[in-house]
Amino acid sequence: MAEKYVGRSVKRTEDPRMIQGLAHYVDDIRLPDTLHAVFVRSIYAHARIKSVDVSEAKKAPGVVAVYIGQDVAKIGPVPCGAAIPDMKLPDHRVLASNKVYFVGHPVAVVVAEDKYAARDAADLIQVDYEELPVVMDEEKAAAKDSPVIHEQFGTNIAYKLTAGEGDIEAALKAADKIVRQKIVNQRLAPIAMEPRGVLARYYRGEQELTLWTSTQIPHMARTSIAVMLGMPENKLRLIAPEVGGGFGSKLNVYAEEALMGWISMQLDRPVKWIEGRRENMQATIHGRGQAGYIEVACKKDGTITGLRYNVFADMGSYFQLLTPAIPTLTGLMLSGCYKIPAIQMNVTATFTNKVATDAYRGAGRPEATFVIERALDLVAVELGLDPIAVRRKNFPAPFGAENPFKTATGLFYDSGDYELSLKKALEISNYDKLRADQKQARSEGRIVGIGLSTYVEICAIGPSSATPAGGWESATVRIEPTCKVTILTGASPHGQGQETSFAQIAGDHLGVNINDVTVIHGDTAIVQYGIGTFGSRGTAVGGTAVYMALEKLKAKATTLAAHLLQTEPGKVTFADGKFTAQGGKSVTIQEVALAAHLARNLPPDMEPGLSATSFFEPKNFTFPFGTHIAMVEIDRETGEIQFKRYVAVDDCGKVINPLLVHGQVHGGIVQSMGQALYEEVVYDDQGQLVSGTLMDYALPRATMIPWMELDRTETPSPVNPMGVKGVGEAGTIGATPAIVSAVVDALAPFGIRHLDMPIKPEAIWRIISKKSAGAA
Amino acid sequence: MKLEGSQTIQAARERVFAALTDPDILAKCIPGCEQLHKAGENQYTAKLSAGVGSIKTVFNATITIEEVVAPSHYKLVVEGKAQPGFVKGSGTLDLEEHDGSTTIRYTGEVNVGGMLATVGQRMIQATANMLAAKFFAALETETGKVSAA
Amino acid sequence: MIPAQFDYIAAKSLDEALSLLARHKDDAKLLAGGHSLIPAMKLRLMQPGVLIDISRIKELSYIREEGGQLRIGAMTTHYQIESSDLLHRVCPLLPETATHLGDVQVRNRGTIGGSLVHADPAADWPAAILALDAELVVKGPKGERVIASADFFVDLLTTAIQPGEILREIRIAVPKGKFGQAYVKFRHPASGFAVAGIAVSLVKDGAGKCQSAGIGITGIAPKAYRAKGVESALKGSAFDDKSLHAAASHAADGVEANADLFASGEYRKHLAVIYTRRAIEEAAARIR
Repeated sequence: MAEKYVGRSVKRTEDPRMIQGLAHYVDDIRLPDTLHAVFVRSIYAHARIKSVDVSEAKKAPGVVAVYIGQDVAKIGPVPCGAAIPDMKLPDHRVLASNKVYFVGHPVAVVVAEDKYAARDAADLIQVDYEELPVVMDEEKAAAKDSPVIHEQFGTNIAYKLTAGEGDIEAALKAADKIVRQKIVNQRLAPIAMEPRGVLARYYRGEQELTLWTSTQIPHMARTSIAVMLGMPENKLRLIAPEVGGGFGSKLNVYAEEALMGWISMQLDRPVKWIEGRRENMQATIHGRGQAGYIEVACKKDGTITGLRYNVFADMGSYFQLLTPAIPTLTGLMLSGCYKIPAIQMNVTATFTNKVATDAYRGAGRPEATFVIERALDLVAVELGLDPIAVRRKNFPAPFGAENPFKTATGLFYDSGDYELSLKKALEISNYDKLRADQKQARSEGRIVGIGLSTYVEICAIGPSSATPAGGWESATVRIEPTCKVTILTGASPHGQGQETSFAQIAGDHLGVNINDVTVIHGDTAIVQYGIGTFGSRGTAVGGTAVYMALEKLKAKATTLAAHLLQTEPGKVTFADGKFTAQGGKSVTIQEVALAAHLARNLPPDMEPGLSATSFFEPKNFTFPFGTHIAMVEIDRETGEIQFKRYVAVDDCGKVINPLLVHGQVHGGIVQSMGQALYEEVVYDDQGQLVSGTLMDYALPRATMIPWMELDRTETPSPVNPMGVKGVGEAGTIGATPAIVSAVVDALAPFGIRHLDMPIKPEAIWRIISKKSAGAA
Repeated sequence: MKLEGSQTIQAARERVFAALTDPDILAKCIPGCEQLHKAGENQYTAKLSAGVGSIKTVFNATITIEEVVAPSHYKLVVEGKAQPGFVKGSGTLDLEEHDGSTTIRYTGEVNVGGMLATVGQRMIQATANMLAAKFFAALETETGKVSAA
Repeated sequence: MIPAQFDYIAAKSLDEALSLLARHKDDAKLLAGGHSLIPAMKLRLMQPGVLIDISRIKELSYIREEGGQLRIGAMTTHYQIESSDLLHRVCPLLPETATHLGDVQVRNRGTIGGSLVHADPAADWPAAILALDAELVVKGPKGERVIASADFFVDLLTTAIQPGEILREIRIAVPKGKFGQAYVKFRHPASGFAVAGIAVSLVKDGAGKCQSAGIGITGIAPKAYRAKGVESALKGSAFDDKSLHAAASHAADGVEANADLFASGEYRKHLAVIYTRRAIEEAAARIR
């Protein structure tokens, strides 16, 4: 079979409709008679609700209904899909009724004929609050004298967990040197371009509820919301139409989704809610939020013998779908791409008066990578060794299916050759020359730094045994009578380009033009049950399911073709859309498809039609890796940072579409730059979200981003037949430590060995001016 | 957010202190004060139209005076609620007299909540400073009037 | 992000706008490009009953040279200034400043008059207007008056314009002789507004010395200001390194600086000094 599409930079078939504004997001779907909902949200971080007076709001023109916590008590709790032993699980209701726990906590919802009337009436609702002391710091939250958020627990500690293998105490005892550092991964807001939005419609006769919602997980959301509403899940049709990004924030089930469904059932009319950007920053999950302390045991030659990470993980006030699970992913990846015989992570997860943290692009792994990469750099600095030499010292030898690499965090990495990507990145960046340039620049009084990170990530999530609600993925492939190919995928995308990449896979497999392939996703009434798109699993798990379904389909088509050619299936070859018998007689796949549907001439035991479904269960995660190198120059007078070079060599296994891979890496690196240099969710000491708009929350803009030199190596994964690994989160995992490392390296002459993120110019200016003043 | 500074007023300390505890004068000095009613001993309710430029919000406020040590010290506590959020401020004022003029040193804490905190972050400090300046300028005028009378 | 109810009237002439303003008084707001007003309304921080749209009034949109002055209508968009051949030729500071404003969409809709009247403490135009010692012509019920730019910015978001008045025109003396101008800016990473924005306009005398200097600074203080200390220190200097450093050191003298999540007041004052020196260097290098 000639490869026509796979491996080529095919332009996204999704783009024309998006660029022209013709795509349909939730808010673009208009139903007649639709009501509009507006939420009243808490302006306090922690308060008792003494009373809610909705009488004026109910009388306001256009208002159809107003609901408060007591009215919606029948709706089940917002689900948490993760379970940790002895975990405290707060009762998370769709509206607050006794207490509010964070700024943005929904207290009431107004439903009116239009959004203006609803918004006007929201201003008429009087909520009488009694303020309570707030808990803002994840570490202080664990203290005995801290105010307690959920009184029934008597503590803010949600859980404590110790993970890892090997004798860490012995490693620390025997170490030539122990390197210690506090390392913080600050809270970040995911900020998908499209905020959340829900449209609900109930047909009372059919008892059928349809929810259009901007989600990454249509089927899991359907199941959860059906449970919350106490209805059969096959009477709930959930549709994720075009979804404008998620970054993990829509890998969730939110109060507003269930509530809109419930309201449309009460009022027997469609109801819509579209989240505003301020709401998005207040009430959609945040990411990261870990403050930890590392102890690294090492030998004089740079060999790492042990790593301990004692971390306080900021849960926020409630659990969303995966909140408590995120730090466990950090624990799994603490070994990075290094042989470390003893690793221990001690997590103290605490409740704070903030919105919940949850999966944000990378979800626990950027935190781990930042920790281990900073650790390697600190070891190099404290031992006076080259950071690359320290990495090489601790790399495992190349490994694959026969000899997977086992870590002290309990994982078996599938395949890897860390030296390969490192070497390539060093070559592309001309690393030795960069170091020479740096030396020259320093002699001229300039402040220049070079940093790198060699990272590994855990992707293709994941085997069902290691995930809370199934880690497989589904696909159905049909060849229609006219030989158009329809793919139904459970991996519902939200910007990844699966309509293109899956069509590429099918195009090559069946010898058809990708324009004849339609990929359908996101509608639970059309698509078989699926898991969704997150954890860099779309292609590696969802794409593999497509591949497996195609294999089944082709087997049947081959049997039918052989029947039509009056020969044995084993004597038929397939290439370029044509089945050919040994004598040279052939039938096209189009003819086979039509024959399958006309069903007048089928083998005696063959069912009509041409369709196959696969539920693919991966045997392991995949472990993509790579090397990122950053070079920065700092303005001595102002502390401003300028990128001089950015080189990334990523290895995500076999590549279906290099253009999509580049897009993923670009976006990921940009979000890394955000974490390293710009972004930070800031609550003040009263719990007010003071970084509450994009005027203050610094999302990187195109003009702030340097040229990125991207390349790749291809180490196939043995876990799936296409050898793909996944790339959706690589940039956010690999880039952050490289950038921080470059800035720290630049400031090494000023006695700096570590900096907290985001590294702002003012902080650098203070470092430089303090040193200059000291020297004077 | 911290607010501190000092202001010198050309009037005797007793006069300044009296002005600072006189609801009629306070009503004239507090920027945007539209109504001020005595609600109890050293306690007032007020309607404040506060803001900057054309961004103005009407706050329902309570003003409490505490720690009164005439004529040198007191604490002012203001809590205002409005549709876009709330403002809570408390500050101590210490008065010293030098050659017939009075220096007021103030130090306090202003907390803003709701929409005002979310969207106003970059201007809150400047707004607080501006309102404090307006307050003291008006106080100077008012005490001047009293001294002249 | 849903505004309260309001009426909308598109004024066809300045006089119509003035009479509408006289009729609706405090209940009305003038709508120019709307890039500050509309967001404030969507947040309901402003809830005007009537919006009087003056952005379509043709007589308020022009750039021309008249009697040794540049005259710019208040409703001239940032883009019109950015792309004006006349301004590039005789007063390049204005088009240069325009390129720093927001993004393309903002520059296509936003107007210089709207920006000046809003008087955001971090807006770009006030710096340029101060450096150029512009005059602002406002028209009200009692006729026209001219306000010097140095008197125009009164406080945070507050100008010398009185209720009932409309900014009509910005007048700038056409720079004569050998002059050089520059606008340099430290952009806020989130908002794109100026953390420090320094506009400089220099004139050189026959002897190669600084004949006059106009320095406007935005982003540092509650209102944009003229750095008088810098201006007087520059006067008569030969634009040598030492005098530039010395002059720029006065950039934030006596200023109570703003602070936000990104930059403290102390750092802003430091930036004012550094960026003022750089802006002067740039402007001096451009003198022709």
